[in-house]
Amino acid sequence: MNATNAFAPTGTRRSLLAPLQSQEATLAIFLALLVTGLAVATPAFLEAQNLRDVLVNASFPAIAAIGMTMVIVSAEIDISIGSILAVVAVLTGNLALTGMPIPLVFLIGLLAGTLLGALNGALVAYARIPSIIVTLGALSFWRGLVIYLTQGAWIYNMPEAFHFAQRSWLGVPIPVWMMIVLIALAGLFMRYSPLGRQFYAVGGNRQAAMLAGIPIKRRVFLVFTLNGFFAAIAALIYASRFSVVQSNAGLGFEFQVITAVVVGGTSIMGGTGTIWGSFLGALLLAVIGTGMTFLKVSPYWLQTVQGSLILLAVVLDVVRRRQVLVR
Amino acid sequence: MPEPIIELRNISKAFPGVQALSDVSFDVFPGEVHALVGENGAGKSTLIKIIAGVYQPDAGTIHFDHQPVQIMNPRHAREMGIAAIYQESSLYNELSVAENIFMGRHPRSSRLGTVDWEAMYREAEAVLNRLGIQMDVRAKVGGLSTANRQRVEMAKALSQQAKVLIMDEPTASLTQHDVEALFSAVRFLREHGVGIIYISHRLEEVFKLADRVTVLRDGHLVDTRPVKEATQSQLVSMMVGRTLDTLFPKEETVVGPPILRVRNLRRRGLVNDVSFEVRRGEIVGLAGLVGAGRSELAQVLFGIYPAESGTIEIEGKPVVIREPRQALAMGLAYVPEDRQRQGLILPMTVRDNISLAILETLTRLGFVSDRDEDRIAQAYVERLQIRTPSLQQLAMNLSGGNQQKIVVSKWLASKPRILILDEPTRGIDVGAKAEIHRLMSQLAQQGLGIVMISSELPEILGMSDRILVMRKNTIVGEYLRGQVTQEQIIAAAMGLDQQIMHGANTLERH
Amino acid sequence: MTLERKMLRRSFFGMSAFLKSQEGLLLLILLVVMFILSRMSTQFLTTGNLLALTRLFVEVGLMTLPMTMIIITGGVDLSVGSMFGFTAVMLGAVWQYWGLPLPAAIVVTLGIGTLCGLFNGLLVTRVRLPPLIVTLATLAIYRGLAFGVSQARSVRGWPESFQFLGQGYLGPFPIQFLLWVSAAVAVALFLGRTAYGRYVYAIGNNETAARFSGIPVDRLKLALFAFSGFMASLAGTIFVARVTTTRADAGTGMELDVIAAVVLGGTSISGGSGSIVGTTLGLLIISLLRNGLTLAGIKGDATVIIIGAVLVLAVWLNRLFARQR
Repeated sequence: MNATNAFAPTGTRRSLLAPLQSQEATLAIFLALLVTGLAVATPAFLEAQNLRDVLVNASFPAIAAIGMTMVIVSAEIDISIGSILAVVAVLTGNLALTGMPIPLVFLIGLLAGTLLGALNGALVAYARIPSIIVTLGALSFWRGLVIYLTQGAWIYNMPEAFHFAQRSWLGVPIPVWMMIVLIALAGLFMRYSPLGRQFYAVGGNRQAAMLAGIPIKRRVFLVFTLNGFFAAIAALIYASRFSVVQSNAGLGFEFQVITAVVVGGTSIMGGTGTIWGSFLGALLLAVIGTGMTFLKVSPYWLQTVQGSLILLAVVLDVVRRRQVLVR
Repeated sequence: MPEPIIELRNISKAFPGVQALSDVSFDVFPGEVHALVGENGAGKSTLIKIIAGVYQPDAGTIHFDHQPVQIMNPRHAREMGIAAIYQESSLYNELSVAENIFMGRHPRSSRLGTVDWEAMYREAEAVLNRLGIQMDVRAKVGGLSTANRQRVEMAKALSQQAKVLIMDEPTASLTQHDVEALFSAVRFLREHGVGIIYISHRLEEVFKLADRVTVLRDGHLVDTRPVKEATQSQLVSMMVGRTLDTLFPKEETVVGPPILRVRNLRRRGLVNDVSFEVRRGEIVGLAGLVGAGRSELAQVLFGIYPAESGTIEIEGKPVVIREPRQALAMGLAYVPEDRQRQGLILPMTVRDNISLAILETLTRLGFVSDRDEDRIAQAYVERLQIRTPSLQQLAMNLSGGNQQKIVVSKWLASKPRILILDEPTRGIDVGAKAEIHRLMSQLAQQGLGIVMISSELPEILGMSDRILVMRKNTIVGEYLRGQVTQEQIIAAAMGLDQQIMHGANTLERH
Repeated sequence: MTLERKMLRRSFFGMSAFLKSQEGLLLLILLVVMFILSRMSTQFLTTGNLLALTRLFVEVGLMTLPMTMIIITGGVDLSVGSMFGFTAVMLGAVWQYWGLPLPAAIVVTLGIGTLCGLFNGLLVTRVRLPPLIVTLATLAIYRGLAFGVSQARSVRGWPESFQFLGQGYLGPFPIQFLLWVSAAVAVALFLGRTAYGRYVYAIGNNETAARFSGIPVDRLKLALFAFSGFMASLAGTIFVARVTTTRADAGTGMELDVIAAVVLGGTSISGGSGSIVGTTLGLLIISLLRNGLTLAGIKGDATVIIIGAVLVLAVWLNRLFARQR
């Protein structure tokens, strides 16, 4: 019996793109190079305090990226998490001021974010409205509500217990611990849980997934709900980081997170991507952001960088798919 | 005597304008390979789609595993144990071979309920090995060749313990070597009690692989018999045998000089070095099997996929065609094969569909003239006798025959010099068919050059002045009207030895 | 011409019943909203106030014209708000820092907007990326460029003649209103009465069949995206003339208003149907709603609540209507 070697390329130009096949590996290398470059340009970059700042800055986008990875893997999109973050941050900030026990405040915050995510999920899965429309509407709706309710006022003077993000354990800031733990757990989930694998099916070939008996609507609903949950966790970190919660909290946050996820190797078409990659993407963005400050590059260019990265990642993804596909 | 695993009795199915299946009975035993053959449009596709749950029959009964059933949808069919391998993929390109086989049924580690990857890889390899295949189960499916993708699908069916497996033209794009491997896999499945329905145009495969063979023709069952009791020529006769009616009145025309000359046309994967010509007043029939490359040739000529090399000359002048707009400007028109997807815009009206290709000529001062549009549309409605309550009727509401007439009208309105018709009378009623044939004769008389792609041999033989046969994206035969038989054409299309076909001529035909 | 044929002519592709019901419904909603607002404030129904209102919606209104066509073809352009802001900034940069005379600066700005749109279009038609992703990315890129180029500084000191464009009147009408009306009429005529307008609907209903019919699909889509960029820059220019300053964050979130107006007006998000008349009604309703909320004391930025809700509701209604057909 002749063995068929599935690896034998049948005439495609794979050699050029072979290293890029593992986008995560490329990303890790690129990140290492970038950090090295920055360290050479400005040695101050490698100071412990700065590294700690970078990690804390990366922590809440990375955690939000967990949910977003699942959403994009399922071939959907959610551009409302910035507004969800705002709602949760403002809500918890205000509740903390009323003297409510802090654990309860956080619980309510998590619940709120999860519900907002579930609302998105219901509209997408059951009312069958495209996710871009639902989350575009949600982005505005919740943002407007926050603006209205806060009247632009900032929230401050929260009790000390609220600011868990400012504390450390064993020298490592709490948000960084949270990031590590959640990323690890989520990575395990997406790899080892049958449910996690189903997200890949729903995004990779929805028709086939349906035929295989996977309940598409329930999965889509779930993925948006989870996204809301992780956005809420990110919001808690965000809100407790500094002593004030601004009324424009989270503006543009969804962009940061989507960039991290897409740069991290998750294809916008769905069906592929890893938590680990999104984590690297979030780290990369945090390094770039801090690096720009160190190099005295105006922070105003940040959005351009984000948009360009998204475009670059998507173009590379499309090119890779076309080259690998064999007639 | 074992019972059939699936039994269809007296199945009928109609679509608007055409009776796809009439009173067809068909069954499959466990551990049998039952081949299903027939020309394009004979009803094979409809029959297996009914079994796969895509369509519901209008009449008749289905029994599965001794129980009367209704196969409501594809998922239901799959749950019952009916698996199908089509040309379109139901695989996840970004996931591994192993996961494709086991998606939704991942092997779990007993303690945590998590996915046991090692077990999945092992079991996937085991399944593939049983089929005689060795493959890297960790590789992404997206990078595999068609042959390997098919193997994954078969492994999937096997691991799902399918009781019935439908294979629709599985060897269409395989090399000889891959075909042998496929056969081993099929034999293995058969030994394990799977009932296999095998559709193929390649009769040699039927004889190598199948236990029984069923021939369909025009939606009717011609016969079902053990393969041992059949010969190739008998099968071919059964597939095509019908009298040449006077349904195809091709009037004698004076054939003029070449209006279209194609030399060494090439486009990778679609057209492989094709050369031919069409003369004024001539109807050239283009015959061949599904996948032979006829529609592809037409689409390359028309500019949908521009040619990579070769020349095209219209009325002696070389032309470059990089998009349909240019083809149109050169006097070329293409009535496509899939009228609903490629020919019509269903939510638009009859009038708007007819005027679509010439819309820019119907403008005054830049604005479309309703009057001119109505006039032209009305003219074609009358000329082609399109049955519609009004010009404002939506195209989607008309019957297949009338829809086809609309598409033809659209292209006639562009006053082409060369008209390519791709399966112009497929799926339409007899009356409309005759009208279209009459039209083609008239057009030829007016001096157009016509290329007619058809899978209906009587139509090819009746309407064409010259017949070209295509196989594997190139032209393999050329015949003159009245000097060739249906069997010869099929033989050329299938690449069969002409000697075998000789015997068919002496057999009786109904 | 019989009355019946006149009515039939106004219905695109035989969808008269559907359009009539959605357009009629919109008109009804519009009248209801106007009624409610007039009750809330005696100032509302004065011609002065209404005309002042039109000034505000012109900027969004100009961008809804290409957006309607893009959505009909099944695409979308999320970057209009960013192109708006970027071109506003560039107008300031070109005029003040490059020292070009104002008319030339305006022409250059319009050119920049068109180029931005072309960039979007090329990525969609040549590289074959989904419009959603492309314009989501360029939304960030153009906004970032706006901030980067301006460094959050604004350009002031615009000449009176220029300010006239954004603040002046021609008769009783604000100038930009007249500009918008002419543009809207032109685009409506294009869509409804020309061959290429018909092609837009054809592409949205069945792109494959459109290609097979000889319609230059890619070129048309490219032109639509370029037009979107052009209109965004035109709106940006008028904006600068109106507020006499360039702000890098101008137009943030504007894509929402534009898309909501188009979808509310009956254009299906999946493509194939829509009209400028419907879009105009949607635009009016949204603008009035926003104005009404402001009158009720809700701060400007917060009025975006209503747009978000309207967008989702409008798409939902669209689906319900479509299924009934």
